[in-house]
Amino acid sequence: MMDKINWTQWIIIAVSLVAAPFIGALISGLDRKVTARMQGRKGPPVIQPFYDIIKLFSKQPIALHKLQILYAFLHLVFMMLVVVLLAMGQDLLMILFAHAFSTICLVLGGMSVRSPYSRIGSMRKIMQMLAYEPILILIIVAIYLQTDSFLASSVMNMPKPMLWSMPLLFLAFLCAVAIKLNKSPFDVSTSHHAHQELIKGITVEYAGPYLGIIEIAHFYETAILFFIIMVFWQTNLYIGFGLETLAFVAILILDNTFSRLTTTWMLKYMWSIPLFLSIANIIWLWSK
Amino acid sequence: MEITNFNVLLAVLILVPVVFGVVAYFSPWDKLRSLSIVLCSVIVAAAGILITIEPNNKFELPGSEMIATILEVGIVAVILFIAVKIKNWLIILMSLVQMGVIIAEIILANTGHTVAHTYDFATDPLTKILILITSIVGPIIAVYAIGYMKSHQEHAPPTAASLGQFFFFFIAFLGFMNGLVMANNLKWFSFFWEATTLCSYMLIGQDGGESKKNAERALLINTFGGTAMVIGVLWLVVENKTESFEGLLLAKAVIPMVLLCVAAFTKSALLPFQSWLLGAMIAPTPVSALLHSATMVKAGSYLVLRVTPGFHDSTKVMMVITFIGALTFAGAALLAVTQSNAKRVLAYSTISNLGLVVACAGINTPLAYAAALAIICFHAISKGLLFLCVGRIEQKIGSRDIEDMGGILYRMPVTTSVALIGMMSMLLPPFGMLLSKWMAIEATIRSPLILIFIILGSALTVFFWSKWIGRIQTSSYHPKFNKETMDPAMGFSLVTLALGVLLTGVGSMWIFNKFFAPITREVFASRTDISDVLWNVFTAAGNFAAVTLFVAVGIAFLAYWLLVWRRFKETDVRLPYLCGENAESTVYTTSAFHNSEGTRSYAFRSMGDKIENSWSSTTYLKNFICEKKATIWLNLIAWVIIIILLGEAHLL
Repeated sequence: MMDKINWTQWIIIAVSLVAAPFIGALISGLDRKVTARMQGRKGPPVIQPFYDIIKLFSKQPIALHKLQILYAFLHLVFMMLVVVLLAMGQDLLMILFAHAFSTICLVLGGMSVRSPYSRIGSMRKIMQMLAYEPILILIIVAIYLQTDSFLASSVMNMPKPMLWSMPLLFLAFLCAVAIKLNKSPFDVSTSHHAHQELIKGITVEYAGPYLGIIEIAHFYETAILFFIIMVFWQTNLYIGFGLETLAFVAILILDNTFSRLTTTWMLKYMWSIPLFLSIANIIWLWSK
Repeated sequence: MEITNFNVLLAVLILVPVVFGVVAYFSPWDKLRSLSIVLCSVIVAAAGILITIEPNNKFELPGSEMIATILEVGIVAVILFIAVKIKNWLIILMSLVQMGVIIAEIILANTGHTVAHTYDFATDPLTKILILITSIVGPIIAVYAIGYMKSHQEHAPPTAASLGQFFFFFIAFLGFMNGLVMANNLKWFSFFWEATTLCSYMLIGQDGGESKKNAERALLINTFGGTAMVIGVLWLVVENKTESFEGLLLAKAVIPMVLLCVAAFTKSALLPFQSWLLGAMIAPTPVSALLHSATMVKAGSYLVLRVTPGFHDSTKVMMVITFIGALTFAGAALLAVTQSNAKRVLAYSTISNLGLVVACAGINTPLAYAAALAIICFHAISKGLLFLCVGRIEQKIGSRDIEDMGGILYRMPVTTSVALIGMMSMLLPPFGMLLSKWMAIEATIRSPLILIFIILGSALTVFFWSKWIGRIQTSSYHPKFNKETMDPAMGFSLVTLALGVLLTGVGSMWIFNKFFAPITREVFASRTDISDVLWNVFTAAGNFAAVTLFVAVGIAFLAYWLLVWRRFKETDVRLPYLCGENAESTVYTTSAFHNSEGTRSYAFRSMGDKIENSWSSTTYLKNFICEKKATIWLNLIAWVIIIILLGEAHLL
């Protein structure tokens, strides 16, 4: 286990832990810039997320109670753990569970306070999990069916790009990414747009440095998700990067053409079209 | 018959609870009753641990045929008597069938139909795990019951049975359960099986009145299972000339195996037999805890795990069994989502987990078997703990509705923290339940249909647990927590079980590699149909670097303690944003506010200083799923599968 990790792996882990939030922040910055251009605005500089974080950490640490903050810490640490486990090439299903735990911590943090907005946001976040989690597991299943292994490291040994064998799962995964990044029409639990009915939803009661922690966790998550998109063309990471860019633009277009829809709609949609696409893909792989 | 350590321990495990139960029954003083329960608990727990340390052993009782037959006739007669008294014709009919089968066996034995003679009781790793659960978790619940029943009896309806009767059946249950898991002879097994049915009937009907009706249903469904079982045993005796588990596995007798599995499904309350376990919620909470964690439902999953490993050749039968399990896992989780009654949520969660055990047993690969063992163990501890917590919360707040449980973190911090530990252990890393679910998913990977059910079930499980966790930890800011007073017996049980959950959680990976993995290797050692790939996955699962999870939790807590906990100032506390001035804003530091701590509503000042109350409930997907309709459909599908199962075994 731990003793099998050699120096190169330690370095990879350290580098990915440091680099991931920066990459995530840059993607968020780009996101805001491109969105602004799509809406005919000039938009903030690409490094605006860094300024935001610095500002958040210079603010007074206000909170509703102590327990709430513990969950913010757990949220961040487990998101970092996902990066570590990925870098170690560990069991994919366990990585998924670590990621789910991280999200659940955010939910529990939102529910621990007596705030209706934060509670409703948390409820919707669980609904979001319910909507996308099966698809993520099915992707892992698809990988197992081709490699006979659950280890993340086995993905790199596949001779052909994953996209070739799992095109439908890739489409379903993009929906899952849109939910994870809280993009319209799936941005039900919290949003970057100014929807009024839920204020800031699940994070409404976090402020100052504590909100900063959650933002950093979000950067980690963004980096992880885009890394996974890139891995869909794991044989040539340049093409993977191109794929990533395409996915990025597609999600932004989706975000800007739709408005927020209801949680019920999201659940029905995700458990019908993307889930059936994924299952079709799995059956195809299974019968091969 | 020579007297060895093993024989003595065996006798202690089965007889001591019954003997002390009799003492508890006749004791005129509460003190003596409590003392006998505590003594019994200590002895049984010690014997349970000792017998696990002993090497595997076998035991033959002289004249066992006759004793077992007499006991079986006796227990069926008691059930028949009850059935006549409550005038339930179905139960009368089924008891008569059982009686007929036993008489047929006696006639067979006396007309020269010989059966292979084997030992009556034996221990092996599977048995030992079940003994540990029964004789450690069971007594802890019994001790809790001392404290619980004290206050329960004060509010109990006049129809309620006496405390003596309650405790007799309560602790005798443990003895019967121990006997059940150690029995190798199916005659003895049937006796203990019916004995646990009888105990559960008496315990569920403890309060009289409406509870009698639910107890009757439990008796009906379990007698149905018992009838399937005795017919299966008769079949085995006639066709294969054997009446032991050993013989059943050697003969690969599919029909008796399927009948035993149907009996197991009734006891484990799998779909479509779940209604009795839900009805059993009417009993005092310790009974629920006992039925759900240490005894009863575990008997069913034990039986499935006992008989299935030998039948990997009957692929279709195994597939159908897996399917019933998977359907129950997802179906019960779906129904749990719609419930706001805490005990019903727990009940559905139990049913769901038992479904997963049966599904794993049906898949019949090393990883699935190990996952099933892990679920049985970790579930027993966590679920026992959760029932004890809910029982206490209910006695304190007078409601078992989850929505009423806001703010209890402040009012009863110890119980609520313990409950939080219990709930988190059901779904979060690094606890054992998640570990087992992880293995179950990896084990089902080759059967896509089953896998979909398992995945949907897991997602729904996370959903209903996190809703509940979110509700009970909701609270306002309090500089200090309330001081909680608790009955010492209840406090002892809660803390012990909570420690058990934490320790097994921390050591879950170690327990897996130290116990479950070797047991599995032993069970599957002779199997040639397990491919290298399956063994590789099994080994890889054991190699998971679980230590990273602990490091992560440790770092988070340490950082939190250093950066937040120590520096937290009351002046940094704010009130939630309510779209208006909080009605409590001026009083949140006063003692009056701290004592009230109601979280049912959010009060804020709206137009003209009018105080408005708002309330946001948790989602129960009521507009998606209706519990009644969903149950009808699920039961229908489950019955069809049961019929297919009987058909596959060429019984129809």
